[in-house]
Amino acid sequence: MEMFVEALLSILTLEGLVTILVGVTAGLFIGALPGLTATMALAVLLPFTFTMSPLQGLMALGAVYMGAIYGGAFTAILINTPGTPSSIATTFDGFPMARQGRAYEALAAATIASVVGGIVGVAFLLLLAPPLARLAVVFGPAEMFWVAMLGLTLVASLAGGSLLKGLMGGCIGILLSTIGVSPIGGETRFIFDFPPLQGGIVLIVALIGLFVVPELLSMAAQGHGSLKESNKLEGGALASIRKMGRHIFLRPTNLIRSCLIGQIIAIIPGAGGNVTSLVAYNEAKRFSSDPSSFGKGNVDGVIASESSNNVMVAGSMVPLLTLGIPGAPPDAIILGVLLMHGLRPGLDLFTETGVLTNGFILSMGFAAIMLLPVGLLGGRLIHRVVIKTPFYFLLPTIAMVTILGTYALRNSLLDVGIMLILGVAGYFLRLIGIHAAPIVLGMILGGIAEQGYVQTMLAAVVDPIPWLRLVDNTLSKVLAVLVLISAATALLPGWLARKGLLEKAGSEEETS
Amino acid sequence: MVVRLNTDIVAGILGLVFSAGLWLPREEMGRLSIIFPRAVLLMTVLLGIALIVKGIIKPGVREVEIEGSVGRLVVTILGLIAWWYAIGWLGFLVATSIAFFGFTWFLASVEGHVSLRRLLMWIPIMAVLIGVFYLAFTEVLSVRLPTGKWF
Repeated sequence: MEMFVEALLSILTLEGLVTILVGVTAGLFIGALPGLTATMALAVLLPFTFTMSPLQGLMALGAVYMGAIYGGAFTAILINTPGTPSSIATTFDGFPMARQGRAYEALAAATIASVVGGIVGVAFLLLLAPPLARLAVVFGPAEMFWVAMLGLTLVASLAGGSLLKGLMGGCIGILLSTIGVSPIGGETRFIFDFPPLQGGIVLIVALIGLFVVPELLSMAAQGHGSLKESNKLEGGALASIRKMGRHIFLRPTNLIRSCLIGQIIAIIPGAGGNVTSLVAYNEAKRFSSDPSSFGKGNVDGVIASESSNNVMVAGSMVPLLTLGIPGAPPDAIILGVLLMHGLRPGLDLFTETGVLTNGFILSMGFAAIMLLPVGLLGGRLIHRVVIKTPFYFLLPTIAMVTILGTYALRNSLLDVGIMLILGVAGYFLRLIGIHAAPIVLGMILGGIAEQGYVQTMLAAVVDPIPWLRLVDNTLSKVLAVLVLISAATALLPGWLARKGLLEKAGSEEETS
Repeated sequence: MVVRLNTDIVAGILGLVFSAGLWLPREEMGRLSIIFPRAVLLMTVLLGIALIVKGIIKPGVREVEIEGSVGRLVVTILGLIAWWYAIGWLGFLVATSIAFFGFTWFLASVEGHVSLRRLLMWIPIMAVLIGVFYLAFTEVLSVRLPTGKWF
């Protein structure tokens, strides 16, 4: 407790609070640029922390991380472009809301959900770090395979009308993720004698192409921007914030469920915020009384995605600080900073250097709180810019930023070409009913599933029935059952609707 | 523009073509590298066949609508690809300045004739937009952008 108070006092200085404020703002703007991820934001701003004290440096990086994950929601809502992969699910309902003139409502909901998510993540980290960390090490290859399979059942809800086409999109995504060097065998695959393809297709390149380029092409073809002015609300922006605040806190089930999902997935190394927000979105839709409104501008979709991905920021620090396992890619940079300052993850971090560790954790809580003023003001500013800019300036500007963001990932013009090709293909695939979301989901989970599956098969090479190793222990059995339940509950409503049983049940309820 | 198209059959054929493209080079690979893609390729083929069968027996959407002008859509696709190609040849700054100016003029002309005076007035705005992002990426983020023949 003494360490906790000392840590709190070391943050509550002008220098500490300004560091957090600047970190959140910088992270927010970098995260809002398509192609620039939270990992890149941390990597770019890392040298600035070299001259700082260990605590101030960690505070700055924690704030940048929190700001960058939240910043991805801005472009996700306003131009259907996830600024970071963690905001993919935010586009599903955020952008339709913006098209309906409810952009500021979506931004306010994303901000409040992110703030709550950030604070909940910090609370989990402070209270439950050591017991939760033990969970992280029980996830072996077979369990990771089932986690990926659990994620893939999301295709049913992202399919957008036809399950078969959704599954086809998912398979195309998984196959795209296999291009390049095999993660286990080490051989190059599907590069067609073109060596630059050895590096594979980077997820963010595909993400930008599949989400941004079709939107740009639609804007150009239609000859106008995709957003209209926000509906005039009585009381202006404040009314939107109050309305969303009431919506979130008076019906908190979605928020609580999303935060819990975010925390559980965050402690699994390798899963990351992308998976977190997609799973939380799927569960919000599954448990909603009006699942058909998801994808058409249901604010609960935005809340689920944004709260869960911000829980992940602090949540993924659980395995990092206790076991030294980065839960998500940006955590690897924070691990580097810890090691640079001579801090080794483990129990010592919470005892010998407890003031520093608690200070770092608390600073992320303060960063989450600062998202509220910075996010609401920044959101309003960016919203106005997007709305007021004529579309003939907006379109080339977005195209330029996406080209820059894609190129900056690996200094590769080939990536820009892949982004454009995937984008044009994505536009035409959307026309025939294969949407971008299942393809991206396949790309995210394909790698995790392959690694888990092949490693398990490798370990089971002497077993009489190798695939039984996938359900070898209790946790993998539980996860396999969860996959079956998840697939069944996703498919059941469609099957019932086809049989006309839902309408029958509805009319029976009405007559009784 | 509305095009009559059995989207199930088209999606199925596309899946089969995509699988075939990846199926052919798979023989050179070792077991560990092919075990997973092979399973997914098989699933893709089965899904493709299922979609084609569904398209014949119980077709879903039978027309697709391209909203807006098809001509503008094609020009934008070609323009984006030309922009990408030009970056490697002319360098980012020159290629982007030309592409940005071209796109702005092309898209603004949707609303009517764009006078030369209006175009000239836009040049400083475009220069600021391109300059800000160019400097942000090269100076702040230390990204070495392609220089091509000149810049």
